[in-house]
Amino acid sequence: MAKDVKPTRKNLMAIEDRIELSERGHGTLEKKRDGLIMEFMDILDKAQDVRGELSEDYDEAQKKINMARAMEGDVAVRGAAAALQEHPEITTESKNIMGVVVPQIESSRVSKDLGQRGYGIMGTSARIDEAAEAYEDLLESIILAAEVETAMKKMLREIETTKRRVNALEFKLLPELYEGQEYIEQSLEEQEREETFRLKKIKEKKEQEEKEEAEAEEAEEAEDLEGGQAPPVGSAAGGN
Amino acid sequence: MSQEIAVVGSSEFTTGFRLAGVRRFENVPDDQKGEDLDDAVTTVLNDDGVGIVVMHDDDLEHLSRNVRQNVETSVEPVVVTIGSGTGGGGLRDQIKRAIGIDLMEEDEDDNEN
Repeated sequence: MAKDVKPTRKNLMAIEDRIELSERGHGTLEKKRDGLIMEFMDILDKAQDVRGELSEDYDEAQKKINMARAMEGDVAVRGAAAALQEHPEITTESKNIMGVVVPQIESSRVSKDLGQRGYGIMGTSARIDEAAEAYEDLLESIILAAEVETAMKKMLREIETTKRRVNALEFKLLPELYEGQEYIEQSLEEQEREETFRLKKIKEKKEQEEKEEAEAEEAEEAEDLEGGQAPPVGSAAGGN
Repeated sequence: MSQEIAVVGSSEFTTGFRLAGVRRFENVPDDQKGEDLDDAVTTVLNDDGVGIVVMHDDDLEHLSRNVRQNVETSVEPVVVTIGSGTGGGGLRDQIKRAIGIDLMEEDEDDNEN
């Protein structure tokens, strides 16, 4: 890349501007990456708590439904499950964490009372009610886990992108710009040295010429002088 | 826009969720998971009306590479796996890749101690 640029002062100034901008961008992106990682750490702590709860709720719900199956039979449990009228729904709103849009999930109709479930009180036993309740709790935990895990995934993606940008600036763009700057500076210095050398040579040549000219003039003058003191032989003889 | 919760897995796994009111479910018998689970998961992931997909951790083993990758990275809908308690397996790798260190490792060690 460095050899592609023309070594001119204009290009040097342009590269210096780009270096300044890139260094500033690099600093800002580094800060963004560190901030995102700190936010991510908070979410990770929360996620681990939620995961723990989710696991406990799942074990509990499994226990309850196994008990219901054992006592009432699989068909009765399936029958009750098929009779449900109210269905849980979720709506998603968004929240912004350092430029990352993370969802906030609101749920409705997850926890229901006996009357709302729709399978009736007479045909089923309390075991099924307990299992349904345990699964409703589990659903609440799942919704919370979904919210936290989506936030984590989005944050991770953003961290990865920011990290890649920081690395690209640090290890690719900036070194190339520095190399270009150095190349132009060295070329300009070289040009300057050549120019000085050329001027020096011209000056020397000029001095040499002047010297030669002066010597030639001196020689001429000396010759003239010699000519004036001793008049030509022919003219003296002619006079006599 | 309101969305629904979907459950994918064997009928034993989905029954409990149906008892809690979940009506969007894909039943895949254990012996057909190798062939049918990919399609079931893809159908649910492509459904705009679904906001959260619930799966069992062990079922991830039956998914093909591409579908599994979609499951691990999908944000809309988000896939929540339950069962082994450690959470999304892909998430750990993603954290390792993005942050540079394995943040979940020390917690597992703590749990063991």
